[in-house]
Amino acid sequence: MTRIIDFHTHLDERWLHVKTASAADMIAALDRHGVDIACVFTIMGFYEDCRAHNDALLERANFRPDRLIPFVTVDPKVGADAVDELERCLANPRFRGVKFHPWLQAFASSMLRDTMLQILRVAGRYQVPVLFHDGTPPYSTTYQIAELARWAPETTIVLGHAGSADYVDPAAQLIRDLPNLYGNYCGSRPGDLLHLVATGGADKIIFGSDFGAGTWKLLPERIDNVLEAGLSPADVDSVLYTNAARLLHLEEQPLTRRPSETNGAARPAKTEVKS
Amino acid sequence: MSSQHRFIDAHAMLGNEVYLALDEGELVRRMDDAGIELAIARPMGSGLVVNHREGNDLVLKTGPRIRGLASINPWWGRPALEELARCRDLGAVGLFLDPLRQGFFPTEDIANPIYERAAEYGWPIMFRTGTYVFADVIAVVEVARRFPQIDFIAGFGGYADMWFEMTAAIGAVPNLYLDGSLLWAEGIEEVINTHGAGRVLFGSAEPRNRYRVNLRSLERLELPDDVRRAIFCENAERLFKLTA
Repeated sequence: MTRIIDFHTHLDERWLHVKTASAADMIAALDRHGVDIACVFTIMGFYEDCRAHNDALLERANFRPDRLIPFVTVDPKVGADAVDELERCLANPRFRGVKFHPWLQAFASSMLRDTMLQILRVAGRYQVPVLFHDGTPPYSTTYQIAELARWAPETTIVLGHAGSADYVDPAAQLIRDLPNLYGNYCGSRPGDLLHLVATGGADKIIFGSDFGAGTWKLLPERIDNVLEAGLSPADVDSVLYTNAARLLHLEEQPLTRRPSETNGAARPAKTEVKS
Repeated sequence: MSSQHRFIDAHAMLGNEVYLALDEGELVRRMDDAGIELAIARPMGSGLVVNHREGNDLVLKTGPRIRGLASINPWWGRPALEELARCRDLGAVGLFLDPLRQGFFPTEDIANPIYERAAEYGWPIMFRTGTYVFADVIAVVEVARRFPQIDFIAGFGGYADMWFEMTAAIGAVPNLYLDGSLLWAEGIEEVINTHGAGRVLFGSAEPRNRYRVNLRSLERLELPDDVRRAIFCENAERLFKLTA
């Protein structure tokens, strides 16, 4: 059995009125289902004050710094303050990615082009992937998100659901055509995965479960979605582990048991953002 | 897997559509592998959208392990009704409509003659649901209100981003059922817990999904035997008028 990185989970206190899994509950579920590492995102931070939620997420993820990797989110509707918040968080190397949910965060990137360009360039400078929810109109169609990969070719953009229910073929084609566009296989089904891998390439598809948006039961179901697709063992390994490990720089910047052991030495040197 | 009841797959697909392909032989092989006795299949690809005679033949001229849902584009007009009559004679057990690919709102008048004919034949109607605009599950609720004599099935269960509408949709009308073929297990569980097992059908969405994935997901719910019987067998037998 290959190692597993879950590139798409949520670690929050609640989603609206529904209580969600704690960090301890999440780790227990990861252990039961053979998952080594999870990238964790906020949920309520999509609706509320990002700064407070980024801090809370980091604290929760520090329950197991060797297993839980927080992704920062910011609200691009507030303009320069969003860029500042992104810089603040990414200065801490515990944050290894950026997550947006334009549907829940209520923005179309095209309406905030200048701010989004700055955000994407900052992420590119820190060499962290930027994952967007995709597959849902009107703010998160797969085409809308893939377009961002053209705006910022130096930045890694990840389609958070690799087309989800209705955009799988467009996602596969765009992942194939855009070198900096990846697909997070999170929710769609084995027949979809075969197409994503065959067209987009096994080195550009990354497993995710959305655990935290649902309970632990999502996790084995979504691992099954990978294992039952009929991929070669090498491709399964790429999708479940290797591709994510590469985007997260796990070899150059291994995770450590204590957050203080993770310093910024491996971060790329900062340069001025050109807008 | 329990053998207290037979397993009926309420939603499989035959044909070729973009990156999906499945023929009768391969479907039966997968059914055998998973312990599925009977599958309800509908056409996909060109057989769903334009070449209806070909698509309907594909799902209706099969062996005894597969029963077919006819499909027709309402824009065909009068010839659509003639094709449905042919499908009835070939043993269709229901109607499948994909308003997204066939290009109509479920509430548009163009589809009314199709619904009326399905009612005359005693067919349930399964709609593809889950895609914004044409495949809005709430539009199916509206149609279910207008045609209370017809049983409707929300194909794909609102997957993906209309999942949160499903429980309310099923509760809004008594003649709407959930096809759980693409919906994750907890979404199915919520409908069972809220409205009872009588409103849920086990489906595979083969070849997009896999029997093993859905069967394992439902096993994790640890459903009582009467619930399992309902969703794996009895509801499909009743809706599609299948005899054991």
